[in-house]
Amino acid sequence: MVITRRDQNERLLAYLISLAAILITLFPIVWLLGIALKSQRDAFAIPPKLVFEPIADHFLFLLDKPGFVEAFQNSVYVTALGVAIAIVIAIVAAYGIHRFKFRGKKLFGVWLLLAYMLPEFLYIIPMYALYQRIGLYDTQIGLAFVYQVHSLPFAVWLIRSFFREVPGELDDASRIDGCNHFGSLRHVYIPMAAPGIAATAILTAIWIWNELTIALSLTFGEAQTITVAVASFRGYTSINWGAMAAASIVAIVPMLMFAVFAQKYIVKGLTLGSLKG
Amino acid sequence: MPSAPRNRVAYYLIAPAVVVLAVTSLYPAIYSVVLSFYNWNWGVRFDFIGLGNYIDLFTSVEFWQVLYQTFLFAIVATTLELALGLGLAVVVDRLDFGASVIRTLLLTPLMVSGIIVALMSKIVLDPMLGIVNYLLGLIGLPPSPFFGTTGTAMATVIMVDAWWQTAFVFIIVLAGLQSLPQEPIEAARVDGANSLQTFFRVKLPMLRPVLYTILIFRTIDTLKVFDIIFGTTGGGPQIATEVMQTMAYRKAFSFLQMSEAMTVMVIFSVIVLAISLIYMRLDDRLAED
Repeated sequence: MVITRRDQNERLLAYLISLAAILITLFPIVWLLGIALKSQRDAFAIPPKLVFEPIADHFLFLLDKPGFVEAFQNSVYVTALGVAIAIVIAIVAAYGIHRFKFRGKKLFGVWLLLAYMLPEFLYIIPMYALYQRIGLYDTQIGLAFVYQVHSLPFAVWLIRSFFREVPGELDDASRIDGCNHFGSLRHVYIPMAAPGIAATAILTAIWIWNELTIALSLTFGEAQTITVAVASFRGYTSINWGAMAAASIVAIVPMLMFAVFAQKYIVKGLTLGSLKG
Repeated sequence: MPSAPRNRVAYYLIAPAVVVLAVTSLYPAIYSVVLSFYNWNWGVRFDFIGLGNYIDLFTSVEFWQVLYQTFLFAIVATTLELALGLGLAVVVDRLDFGASVIRTLLLTPLMVSGIIVALMSKIVLDPMLGIVNYLLGLIGLPPSPFFGTTGTAMATVIMVDAWWQTAFVFIIVLAGLQSLPQEPIEAARVDGANSLQTFFRVKLPMLRPVLYTILIFRTIDTLKVFDIIFGTTGGGPQIATEVMQTMAYRKAFSFLQMSEAMTVMVIFSVIVLAISLIYMRLDDRLAED
């Protein structure tokens, strides 16, 4: 193909626009990191200080702040637990939907979609009342369980799309070799769809880690997650920007590491669901 | 796909999912509908008041304003995110060198929790001390109160949502563009179409199913907005940025009007349900058997 001058100009323009988009995307995050490392006086300085002496005070403050470290740990537990429940149940259910025809299959599909789409507070208030009564309010397991209303439909839907990519001949071959359903699930579907299952697990983990609405309403002191801890800085934002920014950075970092190391999976998961439905 | 036999086994396989969803979605949905006919405020009083809560809401000016604002937010934010994400995807699709690094960087907002996006925007958009107003001053523009006044708060929360979720549209459209069949595009080029014509006449029509799916997800997601507003304006100033979900939160956890909060959610859920079902009818791929 001949590269014309117009093509070249268009390409240059494309790079300029991309650069502008990257600036707008990254600037607030970089600025937030700056605030987390600035003294109060530097943070409020006008004109804003681009060169400053970084301090660790705000991060050290978080270590001493009652409940903050625990909130981080809670988020780790709740995320791990929530992902494990969603993935195990979803693999089995996705296999059922993929492999069989049954009465009510369409209804089940619609239910999954609606459970995923309906607003959180429709579920939260009754679950709050239920949890208060049965002692699951403000517990990690209770929170991880409620998250299934969103994570489970998402995981079933996505894993099913990945199962669809498994060649049917492999499944048939495994059946001829004497595998029962659990055998072909274990020896054919799960290994073949492993990258897709990993993508699903990562996206589910990101969602749970970042979730606020449900955690805010169903936890208090014991099982409070990192997002709730960060949200608690909301009230006195004008006073303590440094601590608020530092807390936000602590909450962001694990997810940014995901973005860097698991980007391939994230993109795969995000796009497959939408492109193939 | 292998032959799909009818089999009882299928019910055992979906049983765990059905049980979990029954507890986490069906039970609370029914509970909310039932309680919306009562007058319960956490106390011992538990009076059946029929449509009382509904009548109260439908006759309150506040409810209609909040409903309007919920839709305003959803429609403007979704439109903005679709336009920006589509544009950005088309641009990045033209890149060769460094495209994957650029894609990774542009994906960052999706990794960040909504509450953090909210707090971050409070810092950079602070009317007095924020960097954005300082930068506006440098290029000779007047400062904006952003979240501070009823006139600017809604536009500001929409802008913040667009910063956050445009990446979702971008990444999916980009993948869509890159998986388009090349023959029709080449054919258009050979026929002398320029890149704008190729885009609007050839690529965009082929992207329609993808755009449609994104439209559904962004519409429903923006209707349900909570974190961004809770973390920035809290629904204010006055109730200028109050939406359905922040209203339910306030009623339930600040004013302890549980039945009223549930009534708000039942009405809102019916609306979301109707929109979802309309979309599903229009696009069978979402709930195929």
